[in-house]
Amino acid sequence: MRFLHWLTRRSQEDAELDEELQFHLAEEARLRIGRGEAPDSARQSARRGFGNVLRTKEIAREAWTWSALDRLAADLHFSLRMLRKSPAFTALSVAALALGIGATTSVYSVVHSVLLRSLPFPQPERLVMVWETQPKTGKPNVVQTGNFLEWRRRNRSFDNMAAIEALPFNVEAGDEAVQVPGLLVTAGFFETLGVQPLLGHAIRPEDDTPNGAAVVVLSYGFWQRRFGGRPDAIGSKVFFGEQPAQVIGVMPPGFHLPTQPNIDAYAPLRIQPGQALRDGRNFSVVARLRPSVPLRDAGGEMRRIAAQTAQERPDINTGWSATVVPLLEQTVGKTRTTLLVVWGVAGIVLLIACANVANLLLMRAAARRREMNVRAALGAGRWRLLHQLLAESLLLALAGGVLGLLLAYWGVPAILRLLPTGFPLPRRDEIAVDQAALWFTAAVSLASGIFFGVLPAFEVDLGCLSDGLRYGGRQSTAGSRSLRSSLVVAEVALAMLLVIGAGLMLRSWTLLRHVDPGFRPDRLISFRMLLMTSSRDFPQILALRASSVREMLDRIRSLPGVEAASSIHMTPLSGQQSGTWYSRADRPPPPLAQGGGDVSVISDSYFRTMGIPLLEGREFDERDRSGSPPVAVINQTLARAAFPGENPIGKRMRVYWGPSGDPVEIVGVAADIHHNGLRTAPDPCLFLPHAQQPSGFLTLVVRTNGDAGVIAAVQKEIHQVNPAQGIAEIRPMESLVAADTAEPTLETSVLSIFGFLALGLASIGIYAVVSYSVEQRTREMGIRLALGAARQVILSGVLREGFVLALIGIGAGLVAALALTRYLATLLYTVRPTDPLIYASVTSVLVAAALAGCYFPARRATAVDPAVVLREE
Amino acid sequence: MEDRIELLHGTLEMLILRTLRAGPQHGHGIGVAIRATSQEVLQVEHGSLYPALHRLRKEGLIEGEWKLSENKQRARYYRLTAKGRKQLTAEESRWNRMVEAIARVLRPA
Repeated sequence: MRFLHWLTRRSQEDAELDEELQFHLAEEARLRIGRGEAPDSARQSARRGFGNVLRTKEIAREAWTWSALDRLAADLHFSLRMLRKSPAFTALSVAALALGIGATTSVYSVVHSVLLRSLPFPQPERLVMVWETQPKTGKPNVVQTGNFLEWRRRNRSFDNMAAIEALPFNVEAGDEAVQVPGLLVTAGFFETLGVQPLLGHAIRPEDDTPNGAAVVVLSYGFWQRRFGGRPDAIGSKVFFGEQPAQVIGVMPPGFHLPTQPNIDAYAPLRIQPGQALRDGRNFSVVARLRPSVPLRDAGGEMRRIAAQTAQERPDINTGWSATVVPLLEQTVGKTRTTLLVVWGVAGIVLLIACANVANLLLMRAAARRREMNVRAALGAGRWRLLHQLLAESLLLALAGGVLGLLLAYWGVPAILRLLPTGFPLPRRDEIAVDQAALWFTAAVSLASGIFFGVLPAFEVDLGCLSDGLRYGGRQSTAGSRSLRSSLVVAEVALAMLLVIGAGLMLRSWTLLRHVDPGFRPDRLISFRMLLMTSSRDFPQILALRASSVREMLDRIRSLPGVEAASSIHMTPLSGQQSGTWYSRADRPPPPLAQGGGDVSVISDSYFRTMGIPLLEGREFDERDRSGSPPVAVINQTLARAAFPGENPIGKRMRVYWGPSGDPVEIVGVAADIHHNGLRTAPDPCLFLPHAQQPSGFLTLVVRTNGDAGVIAAVQKEIHQVNPAQGIAEIRPMESLVAADTAEPTLETSVLSIFGFLALGLASIGIYAVVSYSVEQRTREMGIRLALGAARQVILSGVLREGFVLALIGIGAGLVAALALTRYLATLLYTVRPTDPLIYASVTSVLVAAALAGCYFPARRATAVDPAVVLREE
Repeated sequence: MEDRIELLHGTLEMLILRTLRAGPQHGHGIGVAIRATSQEVLQVEHGSLYPALHRLRKEGLIEGEWKLSENKQRARYYRLTAKGRKQLTAEESRWNRMVEAIARVLRPA
């Protein structure tokens, strides 16, 4: 209603003003006629004496309060018309902006969801993880059971502290059995996180005592899948292995410890006091700081407690300390650097896009100089013209922003879907292009619009109106040319920086792709499980593990389509590995803090099955079983470290592993493999025979003839040996190798795409500036040609102009790259951030792009027909 | 012609108010009156009258009313409001003090 009123009032005022002015002119003419002037000349001099009628109206109108809005509407309307009139310019600008804004918004939505938003718990900033730290390296390490008990008993810094251990849970479903990701937790776990179950209750202190009842708390997802979301699931039984466990609670949807996102069930972690001191390091520890205790003080207290435990139990704790890490930092980990680098790169792409649009606008402003000058001469105020230009750039920015937001809205979920399972992106299910992203886009679009809108506005120099009219808008001022040149230099420099970054990543990625994992992953299938045994007596459990694995392997090896089969307790490239101390038995034992490395428990013919070359001696076979002399195979790295210049075969080593303390005799040396990732150098590794050191962790590795039916056959054989045995995961080793490079692959593709965009935008920038300058100087060139200048001279002159700009940009980009690429160092594999090969080749790529950008407009310059130009004069 | 002086910035409004003290007048009449009473010394570009009139109207110092002129044509007549009258008095005294001060500077006694 108010708007209608406003509209009618406006048109009424307009009409009244018109009538008033008409009356004024008529009255003045009448006065002059009365003095004796001729009617025609009287009317003319009345008009002259009045001044500029249009401008008067405009100024009078501006006296009314609503005219600011009015003016904005008019500006926007006019801008739309101008933008529609030059579709190529508009499309190019909007596309560049959409790409720049889309890229920054996409990365921002990930940055916001992963790095900035707090974790979904009450007072999440007080949640921490507590680790032991390794001697010398100080690297965080899982916690020894006895140490955890001491920490929990002695600390004054935490409200609550809980130990957790991830373990597959074996679940029977009809006559099938599956294994789901499970988490053993001590009673304080849910209380520490501050989350109540959706149904039932959490694990209580009486549940994690050695004789507590077998209970389980389910995740929301598992409850839905397994019980169809029925509330009567509480109190029912789930068979975990042989023992039924009672469901006592269901967690709310979306609940998980962010470092353990896929857990389906939680069961009590029972610590046997007698066993606590003998246990290895297995637990992660999550804790909640007391409200009054700063993180630093908690860290100090934990180090003091660790120093005490080191004194009390030097055999296991010498050199070890402790550290406290905020849960968010723990969750985000290395991803922080990656995300910030990618965000920065996206921001630079946006900057280049803005510089590009500013340049295009500048050129258009120059081309529209005549229009502006005419409007100024007709009485448009300087501010009016500036507003007009700003309205145009804001419209462009808005269009780019909307498209960019759509790009992010569709693109981010699409890219997330493309990521393989197990891709190391924390808080993945929390990532959303949401309201925060919307605000971010709005802010970024507005800022860009103002940035590239203000620059061309300087171009409207009303000081020399008459010049503009006289030269018909063909001249550009020196000031705006240097502005354009600096924009191009900046564009090229930024593009150079990004392309060098992308080049480094590409080279690193190529090298990584050529890393030999050390085994042949083709046609190799892994079956991961936790071995289920029906006994509760430890020696008997060990015997059952050994016999069931032997039986499984015997059956699988006799299947048609199976070329070889064996087992290892922790799958290579799965991110899991065991470690312990070991040292030569023929030397005095080194301090416990030194020596040791990885341990793998494997079955017969493991190296043959995996395709790992055996360098010396033999691998495990029928001779190595329980009761026979304990043996070991070592890898090349361990052989070099422990037996430099000696033959290790027949030597003995002390190993801190398993119940018996007898030294093992080395029977073979195997080539290294990249167990802990292609990017990490192989660690020393000691292999023990499963028959002598039966482990509950088991991955069967089966080399097939490529027949997909073999997988089902293998599953059937496992079921035959133990019907209650579920399988946690079946995965081709090739997919594990691919997953290990998935992260660098994504980083490299993102940075390459951004680098490519930057290169394209910068080339367009050079092209636009050179062709504009050629257009401006058509007359000059025509005249020079007419006066007999050689076309070659003119061509090289134009080429030089653009090329010098490009070279300055390339030089600046090189300096920037030298200064900034060190932030890439953590993402690079073996490539140094200053790799001269990359710098040289990227320089030549940019030089080529710059030449192309200059050449085409320069050729047009030489095609000028002098006759046409002279006629125009 | 050489005797004509362009108006000082901001004084046009005061002259309009002063002219209107004599009674309601339309835009053209105001312009003619200023020229005439200043004995053709003060030159008012008629175009600039109307923006000034609209500003004064917006500030509530004058009011506009459509009436028939002497030649039976519709014209908007402007009239001083009470607020305008007060404003004029204030402006006049401010102006006089300024003129005296300037005169004292230019012709020290």
